[in-house]
Amino acid sequence: MKLEVGYIDIKGIRFGDYNAVEDGILIVNPEPLLEPVLEDPLIKSAHFEIATPGESIRITPVKDVIEPRVKVEGGGGVFPGMVSKVDTVGSGKTHVLRGMAVVTAGPIVGFQEGIIDMTGIGADYTPFSKLHNLVLVMEPVEDFKQHEYEAAARLAGLRTAAAIGELARELVPDETVVYETPTIAETFKEEWKDLPRVGYVMMLQSQGLLHDTYVYGVDAKRTLSTLISATEVMDGAIVSGNCVSACDKNTTYHHQNNPVIHDLLAVHGKKINFVGTIITNENVYLDDKIRSSDWTSKMARYLSLDAAIITQEGFGNPDTDLIMNCTKLEKQGIKTVIITDEYAGQDGKSQSLADADELANAVVTGGNANEVVVLPPLDRVIGTLDYVDTVAGGHAGSLRPDGSIEAELQIITGSTNEMGFNRMSAR
Amino acid sequence: MSKFKVVHYINQFFGQVGGEEMAHIPAEKREGPVGPGLAFTKNFGDDAEIVATIVCGDSWFNENLELATETVLDMVKEESPDLFIAGPAFNAGRYGVACGTICDAVQTELGIPVLTGMYVENPGADMFRTKVLIVSTADSAAGMRRAVPAMAKLALKLVKGERIGASVEEGYIPDGVRRNFFDKKRGSTRALEMLLKKIAGEPFETEYPMPTFDRVPPMPAITDMTKATIAIVTSGGIVPKGNPDRIESSSASKYGSYNIEGVDDLTSETYETAHGGHDPVYANEDADRVIPVDVLRQYEKEGKIGKLHDWFYSTVGNGTAVASSKKYAAEIAEKLISYDVDAVVLTST
Amino acid sequence: MIIGELWRLTPGGEQETLHTSKFQIVTNNPMVAEALGERCHIVFLEHGSDRDVIETVRDLVHRHHRVLTAPLAGSVKPWETPYRSVMVSVSKGTAIDATSLELVEFALMVIGQSRERLETTKPSIDRDFQTVDLSLIESALPSVEAIGRI
Repeated sequence: MKLEVGYIDIKGIRFGDYNAVEDGILIVNPEPLLEPVLEDPLIKSAHFEIATPGESIRITPVKDVIEPRVKVEGGGGVFPGMVSKVDTVGSGKTHVLRGMAVVTAGPIVGFQEGIIDMTGIGADYTPFSKLHNLVLVMEPVEDFKQHEYEAAARLAGLRTAAAIGELARELVPDETVVYETPTIAETFKEEWKDLPRVGYVMMLQSQGLLHDTYVYGVDAKRTLSTLISATEVMDGAIVSGNCVSACDKNTTYHHQNNPVIHDLLAVHGKKINFVGTIITNENVYLDDKIRSSDWTSKMARYLSLDAAIITQEGFGNPDTDLIMNCTKLEKQGIKTVIITDEYAGQDGKSQSLADADELANAVVTGGNANEVVVLPPLDRVIGTLDYVDTVAGGHAGSLRPDGSIEAELQIITGSTNEMGFNRMSAR
Repeated sequence: MSKFKVVHYINQFFGQVGGEEMAHIPAEKREGPVGPGLAFTKNFGDDAEIVATIVCGDSWFNENLELATETVLDMVKEESPDLFIAGPAFNAGRYGVACGTICDAVQTELGIPVLTGMYVENPGADMFRTKVLIVSTADSAAGMRRAVPAMAKLALKLVKGERIGASVEEGYIPDGVRRNFFDKKRGSTRALEMLLKKIAGEPFETEYPMPTFDRVPPMPAITDMTKATIAIVTSGGIVPKGNPDRIESSSASKYGSYNIEGVDDLTSETYETAHGGHDPVYANEDADRVIPVDVLRQYEKEGKIGKLHDWFYSTVGNGTAVASSKKYAAEIAEKLISYDVDAVVLTST
Repeated sequence: MIIGELWRLTPGGEQETLHTSKFQIVTNNPMVAEALGERCHIVFLEHGSDRDVIETVRDLVHRHHRVLTAPLAGSVKPWETPYRSVMVSVSKGTAIDATSLELVEFALMVIGQSRERLETTKPSIDRDFQTVDLSLIESALPSVEAIGRI
């Protein structure tokens, strides 16, 4: 598949009485954008706020982060099966509003997680502090069902991002990059025959309420491991419904900008032969774990892989899926590197993972999510601090009287990402 | 601002007393820096100074561990320093153990920051890496020029109470505490680079070494128990009454082999436990509770098993080093094989 | 709540079969007990801790039952949610299932090294923890019910 991605750099967001992108500035007229959001009977209120890098702003609780994109040419539309029809994406031309994101915020459950600080030490830990964020703050009606409201809030964010992306349809990109993924036959061509055949195994959180991922609109827990093109992922074929474990959940933005995919494509045909991407789920039911990891290793063999990078999502039992995927590949002679993160305790002395195997001898870590950080008080809060004391990584008394927050890194959205999005590591 | 006071520990060689022939000298204290201490002084600049140097023979320290520790500790205490440095010991084994031992003691007893340096394969590194910070050095004194600045830099951070970065940043041997840091490249790029090395068969370094489990593949099952000779091996410290081999109640330095030919039952008159890590009352009342001689003897009589081996082997697991346990096990295994033992009941407490 | 249909372990750890279902759920979550009590055996540890749940599962594993779901399902941390639900086979194997044993022991390790639980002062949060725990175990139902035997 061949996808031409045109990046339009966004240098600022401001409110106005029309919606447009002009000279790199996104102008937002809230009313028409909020109309479809508020049509949902479960959403009581919704409004936009703007957060600029460096501003003294704390956004919390964050649900999802989404990059506005639009399909300009080729089949389908962004977020197929969710916002657009379920048509296959990944070919043609896509425009991206680079340097910004739609951030959805507001409570779903009482222990809702996720902080994005736009300045201070907290900003160092989240990639989203570097973006111009259009924050969609939502509140549910009373007596809502969490499943239904999560779906409503998820859809509201994706629709809003799609609507904003639509503003970029006619623009001339600042930069255009062509991404191309080969067919299986093409991967055997003569000039690549000496390159190692490398695959990417992308694990998707799929355990239940607030723990789900959707592929072309299907709940990943009801899927078998399968192949997907890197360019389909760029067009939003995978979206996040995951609201727990802010530090190591993969937001929709992470999927759209998957760093492993980008790094592998960058050396494809030069140092490696990037044969394909396998997506596989992380279910609760153990036979599902066994079946999915078996299936992953079968597909890796069908693709005749020499090596693979495996990425994880979430805390705890996905370690089991990770180790299964890793060992099953290694036992077939497929060399692996896994990307994970750690829960080694506040003192860093506990065992980091909930599973282990000596075959997993090449590990990249996103850092210890239990490490404590003190976030300074910031001038403005988008959303609410009501949940800070109960979110993951926060603990009783974590919100101090002066507005500073003493908490673990796991409270910060994307801080220990397991796709290798960040520079943070641990030893 | 006054300088931080540092006491430095070195061995007889770096103290310029002499080589192996002088390793027997007891600890002595000298004023100011000596040998490598001069290089430390240069690196400390205006921040810290070495007020005293303790020079001690490696043999004397290791052969008189308790006395030596106490002696050196007193010498350090007299100076009321802000920081204690030992070594670097490079790959000198006894020097490394001495550095680790005394750093651990100073840290615990005096509550001041300590630092040493050694080669990663120095036995002292393995013994003390999780207790004291050890800067990773080359395997010989040729590495002094690189070791001292690294140690001095980390030492100043320690004495100033600054946050200690990850081992890769600061250059110390991983101490079992996971610390975050910002690498130069993002995780996905690091993963790709690691993968390329792994594919090429080049050495690569995992960012998280998996905890190692010493897994032993099970032997094939015994098909006919009625012909099998069964032995007992225990780390529960069961010994004949009076502990004839004087097996220590903890950190055992030996194991015992005891004949039980004709013994049908272990009683409080004949057997006891040497183990100091659990309440010995029930083991002393009836040692069969730890090693089931009575039941196995009965099985032997009923023909359920072929034979109970004439000897049992016992040590105390309480704090005994894994390396020692492995040594005892290897010796015991050889004996078991020589007696054609088919299976072993292993018990612990 | 349908107490009469719930399971409790006797002090000796014995239990009786009230259902014909092939799986049972060990839980300390009243919402799970109520919602799934008619679909399978529930070993309900009322007011039990997450450790009690996992230890009960471990005891069942020692009696040759098999663990069917991840003992630490979900990304909600053990130091946050007090609720745990684990699905276990009703049938017994001829020996201890090594995988099951490894899983529960790892889970106990994770629980053991996690610090004291956060105080949840709001009843609404308590209910949310129950809801998510229920959802996690419910997500396994289509898988377990799709096959005839375990």
